[in-house]
Amino acid sequence: MSSNGNLMTRNPLVVNDLTVAYRRSPPLLNHVSFTVHPGEIIGILGPSGCGKSTLLRHLIGLEKPRCGRVFIFGQDLWANDGRDMDTIRLKFGMMYQSGALFGDLDLTENVSLPLKEFSDLPAGAIETAARLKLSLVGLSGFEHNMPSTLSGGMQKRAAIARALALDPRLIFLDEPSAGLDPITSSGLDKLIVTLARNLSVAFVVVTHELRSIMAMVDRAILLDKKAQGVIDHGTPAYLAEKSPNPATAAFFLRNTAEHNPPNAGTGAL
Amino acid sequence: MAKKPPKAMTSDFKIQGPENGEIRLLGTLTAKINPGIWDFLPKISQGQTVNFNIEGLTGLDLNGASQLFWAIEAAKTKGAKVTWTQCPQELNPIWQLAQETLSRPLTSVKKSTPNLIEETGLVMNFLYHDFTAIFIFLGELITFGASLLRRPWTGRWGLILKITETAVVNSMPVTCLVAFLVGLILAFQSAMFMRMFGVEIFVADLVGIAMIRELGTLMTAIVLTGRTGSAFSAELGAMKTNQEIDAFLTMGLNPVRDLALPRTVAMTLATPLLTIIANLAGLIGGNLVMISLGFPVRVFWDELGQHINFSDIATGLFKAFVFGFTVAAIGCQRGLAAGSGPEAVGESTTRGVVTNIITIAFLDSLFAVLFYVLQW
Repeated sequence: MSSNGNLMTRNPLVVNDLTVAYRRSPPLLNHVSFTVHPGEIIGILGPSGCGKSTLLRHLIGLEKPRCGRVFIFGQDLWANDGRDMDTIRLKFGMMYQSGALFGDLDLTENVSLPLKEFSDLPAGAIETAARLKLSLVGLSGFEHNMPSTLSGGMQKRAAIARALALDPRLIFLDEPSAGLDPITSSGLDKLIVTLARNLSVAFVVVTHELRSIMAMVDRAILLDKKAQGVIDHGTPAYLAEKSPNPATAAFFLRNTAEHNPPNAGTGAL
Repeated sequence: MAKKPPKAMTSDFKIQGPENGEIRLLGTLTAKINPGIWDFLPKISQGQTVNFNIEGLTGLDLNGASQLFWAIEAAKTKGAKVTWTQCPQELNPIWQLAQETLSRPLTSVKKSTPNLIEETGLVMNFLYHDFTAIFIFLGELITFGASLLRRPWTGRWGLILKITETAVVNSMPVTCLVAFLVGLILAFQSAMFMRMFGVEIFVADLVGIAMIRELGTLMTAIVLTGRTGSAFSAELGAMKTNQEIDAFLTMGLNPVRDLALPRTVAMTLATPLLTIIANLAGLIGGNLVMISLGFPVRVFWDELGQHINFSDIATGLFKAFVFGFTVAAIGCQRGLAAGSGPEAVGESTTRGVVTNIITIAFLDSLFAVLFYVLQW
């Protein structure tokens, strides 16, 4: 029991038999269980509309699960009716799909905000930390830009810098590569891998970008709308090449016949 | 004064020294530090030799490495000769990463706040462009309005009717309530003084003329500004931030003709009707006070009939017509001129309401002088 408890505390995220549903709606996903180990990059994959982002909202405590439990570093998100949630939330970072930067603060202020609120660091150290995080995501030279003056990709990178603000050991990323050019996207994948390997930061990445999945994800779970749950899991190499599941093969574009209509790819317009 | 409690959770990080120029950093250096731990830095004097011994660190994350880099730079800025030891092998990648990244020169400069003269110039420039934009918009609106008058069958009358219902008809209860209370208050306040001279009967004239010439119209315009003009600004502002207006333009449609004109036509035509109803509500309020003073109902309306003439009603309704146009046009212009980002919608709504209230007050004063000179 105690070794199990230690494992729970050591593991950044443990999801136990989760049922994902919006209020008064039928369940989107049933019996979702998985564990994220320190420094591991887990991909939550699946086609559009399968409930990836909704699952993510449940993992970060924005939605209350219908049943099942979510443990962040051993602490149940909804223990004490969610009264411990604010403390638990300091242990993870989140990057939203749109970036969700605060429009009236510049990039340094956006990244500094959590440090100003939750640490006793001197102002100069906070600014230096914000500068470091922004440089790491390739935004050196944009420290005092307002979010509205940046492109979508740059806003997304700034949002990752903000997720890193408190140096959490667990970061959730919602579609980090979506809308980015291949070079920026590849740089971002490398950054995520560097942080995971050097700082033991665990990442939970919701994505359907195959290139990113292959480049950075250690393990992945594949969701399906019809099956209302996890239909496959494993390393990207296994899922892409060896999984016997036809839905997995279709997702990884192995079975082209399932994805392309008979006349596609002939060059005829 | 009680000491402020630390925000961060407990940490094993501590600093020993400076002793003989050596500062020993021990434990895990993260954002979780005790307040005031770096307070010795300002006391470092010029020329002093300072060695940061970081061999005793057991943990380091990006915030810790940033602090260390900042502390070294702070000591250098004070003019000290700064050195530092190797950090433990396992922490070296993070420390190297921080050093390499933060050593690059800072190219971004924080925008300085403008001084009074610059601020004045910026405000004047903004006002100039703002006024120009309003007049260009009004020009377009009037051109499309004239074209609609020439070919009324081209108008989107179904939409105009729908907007009339949501924007004007639904405003009726609140407008009538405000006008009723204004009529009531006006009658009460004046009755106290009129009674001293035994001329309470003239309360009817006072309330009647004030409501029909001035207050009924003004109250209607202000209620419509808050309820409908602001809704137009927010609605079109949200469309602008969602790039729906851009989509309109690229499809060859004109947002002024297709979005602003129907709203303006609906408001311009319906506001005088709403004003008539508001006037009636105000007069009923005044009549109630007269009844409480012992006058029969009929006396109030007879007195009004003797002293209210056509020009009183016509000037009130003419103003209502102009105010209806103003509220809708400015509301729509502010929405279409919204910037980008989520704050733009709120900003355009606020600017719409403020501009409308100032314009209405200004136009009302202008009409008061004009009607006085023309003896209407």
